[in-house]
Amino acid sequence: MTYETIEVAALSPVIGAEVSGVDLAQPLGNQMYAEIHDALMTHQVIFFRDQELTLDQHKAFGRLFGELHIHPAAPGPEGHPEILVIHADENSKHVAGNVWHTDVSADEEPPMGSILHLHEAPKVGGDTMFASMYAAYDALSDTMKDFLGGLSACHESEHVHSRGYVSRGGKLRDGENAYPSAVHPIVRTHPVTGRKGIYVNSGFTTRIEGLAAGESRALLDFLFEHIATPEFQCRFNWQSNSVAFWDNRCVQHRSVWDYHPHVRSGHRVTVKGDRPV
Amino acid sequence: MQYETIKVNPLSPTIGAEISGVNLAKPLGNQTFAEIHKALMTHQVIFFRDQVMDWDQHKVFGRRFGELHVHPTAPSPEGHPEILTIRGDAKSKQVAGQTWHTDVSCDEEPPMGSILHLHEVPEIGGDTIFASMYAAYDGLSDTMKAFLNGLQAWHESEHVHGKRYGHKGGMRDGKEILFPKALHPIVRTHPDTGRKCLYVNRNFTTRIEGLAPAESKALLGFLYQHIETPEFHCRFNWRANSVAFWDNRCAQHRALWDYFPQTRHGYRVTVQGDRPA
Repeated sequence: MTYETIEVAALSPVIGAEVSGVDLAQPLGNQMYAEIHDALMTHQVIFFRDQELTLDQHKAFGRLFGELHIHPAAPGPEGHPEILVIHADENSKHVAGNVWHTDVSADEEPPMGSILHLHEAPKVGGDTMFASMYAAYDALSDTMKDFLGGLSACHESEHVHSRGYVSRGGKLRDGENAYPSAVHPIVRTHPVTGRKGIYVNSGFTTRIEGLAAGESRALLDFLFEHIATPEFQCRFNWQSNSVAFWDNRCVQHRSVWDYHPHVRSGHRVTVKGDRPV
Repeated sequence: MQYETIKVNPLSPTIGAEISGVNLAKPLGNQTFAEIHKALMTHQVIFFRDQVMDWDQHKVFGRRFGELHVHPTAPSPEGHPEILTIRGDAKSKQVAGQTWHTDVSCDEEPPMGSILHLHEVPEIGGDTIFASMYAAYDGLSDTMKAFLNGLQAWHESEHVHGKRYGHKGGMRDGKEILFPKALHPIVRTHPDTGRKCLYVNRNFTTRIEGLAPAESKALLGFLYQHIETPEFHCRFNWRANSVAFWDNRCAQHRALWDYFPQTRHGYRVTVQGDRPA
């Protein structure tokens, strides 16, 4: 892949690349936009350093990739429903994303991507790990690939979001009165790259359709453990004003909470996606 | 922690630090030696960059920390039985250390530390992950800690080393040594720091003494998974002539093999330790 307007340095052979030579606060030219998109499709998660972004600039960058998603249960700052606040400090009892997951997979049409901007990162710690679901799928036996290719799984959100968000007095998005849940194929084909990836995650996936409870649990346990294989991963070390942009259709991530009582704070903009097939 | 002769830069709040300001090929002054030792005790694994060392210099550095260990079964370069060759390349069917482990825990007196010097690294990939067994122990409930403190486990090597090295007989010090195995406490107290840490690993530990097989399997399975918690980890990105020095008594590690068919090549010197207690 040749890039003319940006520089792209891979973090691992499998997933992740740092992109330099771009100021995300400014409007992007078509060529630069296309190259950032190419880098995201190739590396599945891309990182930018030293980006100063207002909420409006953050949203404008996100809108280049699609309409913005509104989280079902987490209210945004006043006037910015598309902004998800990510914040942990000495008072935190838990932090967001501390298990392997892809964002909001319980939606019927889960987000294609998420763009996280941290304005405050701990001096040491608070990394995020990313795992390639292409690599996870490719490493399965052919027999297992065939079996999983015919199965779907249920993704639910009440057990995840009722604790963290609505119990703090928030309301569900757009007057919805039920936590989202959806059935998605276990193996999904990426709509842009055409590559297959595993699409179950330990955050939201609760059971496999058509299997007995014990069978479903055993197979999901295997998949959750398989997905956590280090060869499929990269680990990103944040600085203040770093940005990570991941493709939720082929990537899972997990935040590392090793920095208590320090502060880690930022905003996420989430881009809408389509129904997994 | 004050250092006067070296600089110490932590990789994570829990484990790992990069040391600068020292040339390991030269004799170390007592103050520099003491500070490197203190950094190792504090951070459990320490890293050095741009170190050009031959085998003799590598061994001299290792001997500052104790007598050198001779691997029970791995072949070594002619005239250097204390040198362990680490190599992955286009012909490799497997690589060393791809399962979470502490080195040679099947010995009655397993090594206190290992010093790995890589001469050739892939352009991208080939990282090593390190896990703090202090953090893993501290992360258990008091009830589980109390239970584990009374237990011992078997560490065996034939299933690990038999495949890779074969049994040549009379392998160490000219003595007939079969594949070693040993019974060690599950919770060991570090002889220098006095801190408690978990001392079972997926590679060598086969069963818990005094438990039924199913009980042992369930408890070991839990512990292996617990040890893999990312909050206990750091991930080190090698360059040519990087050195990692880990304390096998309180750190486990796992090599990533994500760089096939590229070459990753270097040598390890291993420092003898005492019987876990």
